Amino acid sequence: MEFKLEAHRIVSISLGKIYNSRVQRGGIKLHKNLLVSLVLRSARQVYLSDPCPGLYLAGPTGIPTVPPPQQPGEPVAGPPSGWGEPPPPSARAAWPEPEPQPQRPSVCHTPGTGSSEPVAAVAGAGDALPGREADSAAAAWGRVERPRAMASGGGPDTCPEGPRAVRRPCGCPPAREEQPAEDGSPAPPAPCPRKRGAAGVGGGRAGCPAPGSTPLKKPRRNSEEQPSTGEEDTDTDEEMETGNVANLISIFGSSFSGLLRKSPAGGREEEEAEESGPEAAEPGQICCDKPVLRDMSPWSTAIVAF
Amino acid sequence: MVLAWLPVASAHPHRGRHWSSRSQICVIVNTALTLWSTEGSTVKTTAIEEVVNSRMTRTLTEIDSQEESSGHSLLLQSCRCSSQEFCPADIISTVEFNYSGDLLATGDKGGRVVIFQREQENKGRTHSRGEYNVYSTFQSHEPEFDYLKSLEIEEKINKIRWLPQQNAAHFLLSTNDKTIKLWKISERDKRAEGYNLKDEDGRLRDPFRITALRVPILKPMDLMVEASPRRIFANAHTYHINSISVNSDHETYLSADDLRINLWHLEITDRSFNIVDIKPANMEELTEVITAAEFHPHQCNVLVYSSSKGTIRLCDMRSSALCDRHAKFFEEPEDPSSRSFFSEIISSISDVKFSHSGRYMMTRDYLSVKVWDLNMEGRPVETHQVHEYLRSKLCSLYENDCIFDKFECCWNGSDSAIMTGSYNNFFRMFDRNTRRDVTLEASRENSKPRACLKPRKVCTGGKRKKDEISVDSLDFNKKILHTAWHPMESIIAVAATNNLYIFQDKIN
Repeated sequence: MEFKLEAHRIVSISLGKIYNSRVQRGGIKLHKNLLVSLVLRSARQVYLSDPCPGLYLAGPTGIPTVPPPQQPGEPVAGPPSGWGEPPPPSARAAWPEPEPQPQRPSVCHTPGTGSSEPVAAVAGAGDALPGREADSAAAAWGRVERPRAMASGGGPDTCPEGPRAVRRPCGCPPAREEQPAEDGSPAPPAPCPRKRGAAGVGGGRAGCPAPGSTPLKKPRRNSEEQPSTGEEDTDTDEEMETGNVANLISIFGSSFSGLLRKSPAGGREEEEAEESGPEAAEPGQICCDKPVLRDMSPWSTAIVAF
Repeated sequence: MVLAWLPVASAHPHRGRHWSSRSQICVIVNTALTLWSTEGSTVKTTAIEEVVNSRMTRTLTEIDSQEESSGHSLLLQSCRCSSQEFCPADIISTVEFNYSGDLLATGDKGGRVVIFQREQENKGRTHSRGEYNVYSTFQSHEPEFDYLKSLEIEEKINKIRWLPQQNAAHFLLSTNDKTIKLWKISERDKRAEGYNLKDEDGRLRDPFRITALRVPILKPMDLMVEASPRRIFANAHTYHINSISVNSDHETYLSADDLRINLWHLEITDRSFNIVDIKPANMEELTEVITAAEFHPHQCNVLVYSSSKGTIRLCDMRSSALCDRHAKFFEEPEDPSSRSFFSEIISSISDVKFSHSGRYMMTRDYLSVKVWDLNMEGRPVETHQVHEYLRSKLCSLYENDCIFDKFECCWNGSDSAIMTGSYNNFFRMFDRNTRRDVTLEASRENSKPRACLKPRKVCTGGKRKKDEISVDSLDFNKKILHTAWHPMESIIAVAATNNLYIFQDKIN
């Protein structure tokens, strides 16, 4: 159990590092990102192989609940659960299945805690994911925003608050109920913690303000870093849980675009390397993306090709 | 092993440096706005202004100081950074003695190189050893922007390597992430006077006014040290350069980045040969990168490179043009009991150094230093724990990024001792013969002149004795990554963030 908690925390921290490395001066450092991706892989393996099928990460209340699985392989989470990750068996079941539709982040089933937030976030992320690869980052940002706005009804604070709500049992659930997002294309559960986690550490509240704004560019990402770091100072819990999932997806997405657009060279190569680490380690990831992509048909081909 | 170390000199955080326009006086201004100036080879300090609040604001002011009696005017510029105790551009990123040990070069994050020279021993004072004074300062690299990849190229000096001295001038190689430069540092202490075509002010004389010819005569002048770039080796590395190493033939050198090692000739800048390439055809299969590389000190065909997986490969350039197949492979089997999430990170080798004899090599990973015999590939002959007490703290060190710190290591002149840095401004020395080790601290409080450094101890658990420091009170922002040992004498240079400390053994 502790291993799972620890592994999860490490996963989220690692993702945050990968995210931050993109805005670091001097370009992406291949060595550091390779090491981070190795840690990510180990943590993920530990996480998935931890034989506690029905238990979820205990939240601060420390009460691990065993929610009844609503669907085979469906992740369920009690209110106090941190991430509401799907149990390993379900995760494993989820991965080979090209049908993650019934699967959704457990948070979305957290009764009465606005669990839809993370779903919306993840959905937004999922939407962003296919959207990302096709075009330049700026355009992709726009696409990120639009689906997210669509899913969330154009409100801010979707992404960061979602995971936060889940994590803190006493945390006030965000007001927004994202039913459409829930019914939308939920990203597969296994990638969710990664996305949320990374966004939590690195993205922070990035992207929270005005998701419907014009396509974000790098300066904005930089400026988003400040609020996120400020947030982290105030609440160490948040630094891991909160985050803009779409931001993280934009990371992966822009790496996809890099892969597809440029021949490997320099910074792009480094992105490849860093992304290929976790990606290569999770071939199932791509399978899981497919159902997400189904809803976003224009980009599905590209991702599948990748 | 020398156990008693005395501070010789320390350079304090400097805010700005400026070369006087006329006389090449190097001006270093520290946080208290004290002017350090060098004339010739002496350092004199002149307090210009005491700033109570040393946190300088972001005003960029140019202060014209009064004319020095020698007629040099100096310009001071305050540093642009604010609300920090020191400017991050002043963080020292490399330290290197030259072959004779008379010169010590440091590179910093701002792309500057500062060279210290050892004062000639005064015959009258037999018991005073030479002190190191600033000899030359120059801006080696500037920040660049790669427009094609939209990447900024940092100007931080990653490595400096001296070339063996062949004439009166000194040559060194300095590199940032992408470009290597060969610098010539030369002295000028004579000036020609009596030109025919130029006035004393340098203005061209009207040719019609010249009625007589005279031979210019050389007159002595104040010593001026000039640094000029002689070669620029660029555009050969896709990834970040982490090492350079001059070959024992003194004609070639290697530069290593994350995936490739290139061989250069010092005279030829438009060509380099790729001798090692570990880039996989599919980047998704990337599992390890090159972390350090070095030429053998005597055999000009042998080089080693270390990897992020904790392995070292020795290559012989005679075997093939592309040395992808190693001649020797050094790896210690991993201890399965100590496996953790971070086993891979802490096994990544951050530095590899040949011994002066060429028989051994030393590698530094995160927690230990290992000495390898080149003839035994299966395991190291010695393993020294640097800060084993950090093994239980790896997770928090991963969070604050300290686990990625790349510590360097160095041999002493006789290969009997090795030194490496740690946190809290501690550095460790290991005597290979007596198997003794000592932990010392480089800090201003401990660096009173003629006061020996006290050995420090980190309390790992249980009751903390007096004078011990507990692991939790270590300052992980104060790290000593770069150290250098004089090639022949017992003098060490330790870089603690933005301060340079030089210690020498106690004179009995």
